[in-house]
Amino acid sequence: MAKNNMSKLAKREEKLAYRLLLPTVLILVLIALYPLGSVFYTSFTDKTFAGADKETQFIGLENYKELLSITIKELPPILDENGKQKIDPKTNEPMYERAIRILPREPRRYKELNQFTLFGKRYVIGATDPNFISAIWNTLVFTVISVALETVLGLAIALVVNSNFKGRGIMRTVMLVPWAVITVVSAKMWEGMLQPNRIGFFNTVLDKLGIGNGQIAFLTTEGLQLPSIIAVDVWKTTPFMALLILAGLQLIPDTLYEAAEIDGASKLRQFFTITLPMLKPTIAVALVFRTLDALRVFDVFQVLLSSRKYSMATYNYFQLIGNRNMGLASAIGVIIFIFISIFAVIYIRMLGVDTDER
Amino acid sequence: MRKKSLIALMLVFVLTFTLFTVGCSNNTGTETTSNETSNETTENTDTEKTESNDNGKSEEKIVITVAGGAVGNELELTKKAAQMYMEEHPNVEVKVLDTPDLAQDRLGLYLQFLEAKSPEVDVYQIDVIWPGDLADHFVDLNKYGAKEVADDHFEALIQNNTVDGRLVAIPWFTDAGLLYYRADLLEKYNLEVPKTWDELEKAAKTIQEGERKAGNEDFWGFVWQGDAYEGLTCDALEWVASNGGGTIISPDKKITINNPNAVEIIDKAASWVGTISPEGVTGMAEEDARNIWQAGNAAFMRNWPYAYKLGNSDDSAIKGKFDVAPLPAGKSGKGAATLGGWQLAVSKYSKHPDVAADVALFFASPEVQKMRATEGSFNPTIKSLYKDEDILEASPFMGKLYDVFINAVARPSTATAPNYNKVSTLFFKAVYSVLTGEKDAQTALEELELDLQDVTGFEVGEPKAR
Amino acid sequence: MRGKKKTGYIIKKTAFYLLICFIFVYMLFPFYWAVNSSLKSEAQLQMTPATFVPRDPETKAFSPTFKNYISVFKDGQFIRGLVNSTIVATSTTILALAVGSFAAFSLGKLRFRGKKPALYVILAMTMFPQVTVLAGLYAVINKLGLSARLSMILSYMLFTLPFTTWVLTSFFKDLPVEIMESAQVDGATPFQTFRMILLPLTAPALVTTGLLSFIAAWNEYLFALTFTSIEPTARTVPVAIQYFTGVIARQEPLGEIMAASVIVTVPIVVLVLIFQKRIIAGLTAGAVKG
Repeated sequence: MAKNNMSKLAKREEKLAYRLLLPTVLILVLIALYPLGSVFYTSFTDKTFAGADKETQFIGLENYKELLSITIKELPPILDENGKQKIDPKTNEPMYERAIRILPREPRRYKELNQFTLFGKRYVIGATDPNFISAIWNTLVFTVISVALETVLGLAIALVVNSNFKGRGIMRTVMLVPWAVITVVSAKMWEGMLQPNRIGFFNTVLDKLGIGNGQIAFLTTEGLQLPSIIAVDVWKTTPFMALLILAGLQLIPDTLYEAAEIDGASKLRQFFTITLPMLKPTIAVALVFRTLDALRVFDVFQVLLSSRKYSMATYNYFQLIGNRNMGLASAIGVIIFIFISIFAVIYIRMLGVDTDER
Repeated sequence: MRKKSLIALMLVFVLTFTLFTVGCSNNTGTETTSNETSNETTENTDTEKTESNDNGKSEEKIVITVAGGAVGNELELTKKAAQMYMEEHPNVEVKVLDTPDLAQDRLGLYLQFLEAKSPEVDVYQIDVIWPGDLADHFVDLNKYGAKEVADDHFEALIQNNTVDGRLVAIPWFTDAGLLYYRADLLEKYNLEVPKTWDELEKAAKTIQEGERKAGNEDFWGFVWQGDAYEGLTCDALEWVASNGGGTIISPDKKITINNPNAVEIIDKAASWVGTISPEGVTGMAEEDARNIWQAGNAAFMRNWPYAYKLGNSDDSAIKGKFDVAPLPAGKSGKGAATLGGWQLAVSKYSKHPDVAADVALFFASPEVQKMRATEGSFNPTIKSLYKDEDILEASPFMGKLYDVFINAVARPSTATAPNYNKVSTLFFKAVYSVLTGEKDAQTALEELELDLQDVTGFEVGEPKAR
Repeated sequence: MRGKKKTGYIIKKTAFYLLICFIFVYMLFPFYWAVNSSLKSEAQLQMTPATFVPRDPETKAFSPTFKNYISVFKDGQFIRGLVNSTIVATSTTILALAVGSFAAFSLGKLRFRGKKPALYVILAMTMFPQVTVLAGLYAVINKLGLSARLSMILSYMLFTLPFTTWVLTSFFKDLPVEIMESAQVDGATPFQTFRMILLPLTAPALVTTGLLSFIAAWNEYLFALTFTSIEPTARTVPVAIQYFTGVIARQEPLGEIMAASVIVTVPIVVLVLIFQKRIIAGLTAGAVKG
């Protein structure tokens, strides 16, 4: 009897659960089903964006192959008459055959991505679309570093703001300002500050401190590009992390700390035994959404680096709007989707947010 | 009990939704009323009333929407032209839709319209490099009476806008690259206005050294557009063409870029970076160059005509101290200026292409172009207007531009359609890799040639003398 | 002995306040630079070296200009943009919170089959870059014939709804089961438990997610640009700012853009100040559940 009652209750609960999910499902079906479905479909075609009456062909995995094909070839050394390797008189380095002559051209052309030396032999990495391969690399580096920094900083700021002090309310407001500035505008703001001359804030200040000569080109010097972008993004999105973590902190009952205090646990111990474990689900969700945004990063890259260095999303934009290559752009969209899924699954597994404790 | 709350929940949901819809329809309501009040002529409201009374009589107003720029008084002038048209054609209402100033954003928006085959926009204001790529979406204006007026416009523009014998857009206003120089500094250092790149290099060096010694450590000889974007294609095309190196891809569809003249001049440009031009020039677009120039921190600048008026504005540090000249020459003995500017095209998806074409041709007519030249200093595309006294009086500077425009070089956008964007990107990326010292020009252009063959399928050829 | 402890305390306190000062400057300085830029004329913006307050290029005297602010307010589009942004962002937030919290309650506290797939599917909706889905979304909106504002509100669900659902789910899950059970013992239906007990308990989470979604919707540009293209009266602030132009084509009115962004940030700061109380109130609510 009781068991029967329980299952009846369970059934009722299940029904209620489905009903509560219904609005979400309805909305998402309405707005997401067709666009997402068509992205998947288009990624297997050669569709031109706004291609008028041009016919679209189904081309299978061609777009993906075009984007992702990579090859590694050995570069033979150039020999002189005596059979010895030639030395470049200018750079004093041994000479190798040029990559362009070694990399395959049929059925698709491979372009040079990078070269490296291993066990005295010279190799070249070729890719059919080196721009996209480097876009993936740039995006991954950007994502890993900026999300890590944002999490640490966000946690620190949330802890500070969660403690009791005068002006806490103001700090909590101040903390949100970077997130509130419109993304495109904030990118422009930083572009102004990073100008490669003393019109910009950083060059003015660094020049005063005797660093550089007021002409540091932050956004065109290879080694400074990604660090600059990461700095901008960390400033902009740390508040997102901080605010979410702060909400998580507030849900930790004070009684837990009181009990720990009675047990004589140090603050540091409390942090590791109470705060962090209790925050785990919050951090996991925050990480998922931050990573998801970071992997799709668009505005900062578009405004600050335009075509100098692509992120996956700006390359996507370039292919779609610039080249009107909708098939290829959709394939890039799907690849970004796959990357995000991998990250999401890793986070969720590692931090165990989706498991039911009950 | 639970059911009740569920119903309540659903009600809330439905209510919020209806609230939004009501809110929105309310807003559209106020919109139409504001539209009505803006058309103050009683005649207009009368026709609208009859329209609503006896549904759809033949006198229904034809609405033509023109998508165009919204810069400063640009929108006002376009609206004025629309008003002029409506006065002559009371049965037509011309609406002006402003679009973003950023060319990429504008193109993105147009592509959404065109992909959806939207009849909402009838006339598009398009960039000089778009006719080839978008030709399939536009009607042949020759069929709507453009043939008679085509000869009045600059030839290069008409040629650029003609795709497979179809005139897909009528030129509206134009632009070309210019050399800005500091007249006061040339005088100070006893120098002539440079006629060749070598002279420019020397003059820039002399002035830069002198001004730095005099205490301005932010001073540079020559600023230009070196970022990896369409602007670099424009600048580099000017170098190459002026040195007899062709126009990347010739109008008869031959890839001509890999030649010694092009190699020479691109290597030369790369040598400017860090010497007479700042390191950061490889991140500069038009506005970045102008910011340095207008603060009085550069001796020469390559830019479009727009910087002239701004440089002479009241708070400018160089007001009255500078002038413009045609860009310097290389081996060819003739300078080259890249052609820019905007055209009007009529959408194939328009419900009234004939009326839309009429509006476009009216907007590009001497009457309207003159109005825009005198009131907004938009450079006309009609040759005879450069001798018009009213225009020369309003903006004496325009007279000087005639020679530049008539000799301007078009980018190979029509010959390479629909692949111009890819061609241009490959070109500016190749040049960029030379400017940043990643490759030498020889290697970069050799690879570029291969890439261009891949993209266009064209054959390699020799550049022709201009 | 006691003195030592006190100095230690003082050092700790000072370090703490120094840290706060550092965070304060770090968070606000770039914004200060925007304010600084917004008070400069074009000539002042081009000055080298850059000045920390607007100064006259010749005399170096302090001379701010309010020209940028005046022209921003003169631009009718901007004021209308503020109204539109408020309508769109508020509706988006309310809808996302309402619908999202139902879903989150279901996913976080109720037992049913297919929970995991549901969570993943909802998340998957937001995993594509905006540009990629834009064309398809535009087609849907055209088919449905929605007004620009409604299309923005609906399309913003694409990124706000999965966010609110996920965050709230994690918070609901955190709440102890005993609360629900004891409520059920008292004869409350699950839905009553949700509305009367769980919802108030998660107030800080609701406010936080609401705030974050609001800002995300407030700042969205690409969808807004496309959906309002033929209905200029519905343009939101980011679009209106992008439509700011100089006197002449190609000129970028940096001063005005900065002025506009300063003005736009103010309402959000006010909003946060208002909700501050709610967030702090949430603190006391947090104590209940232990």
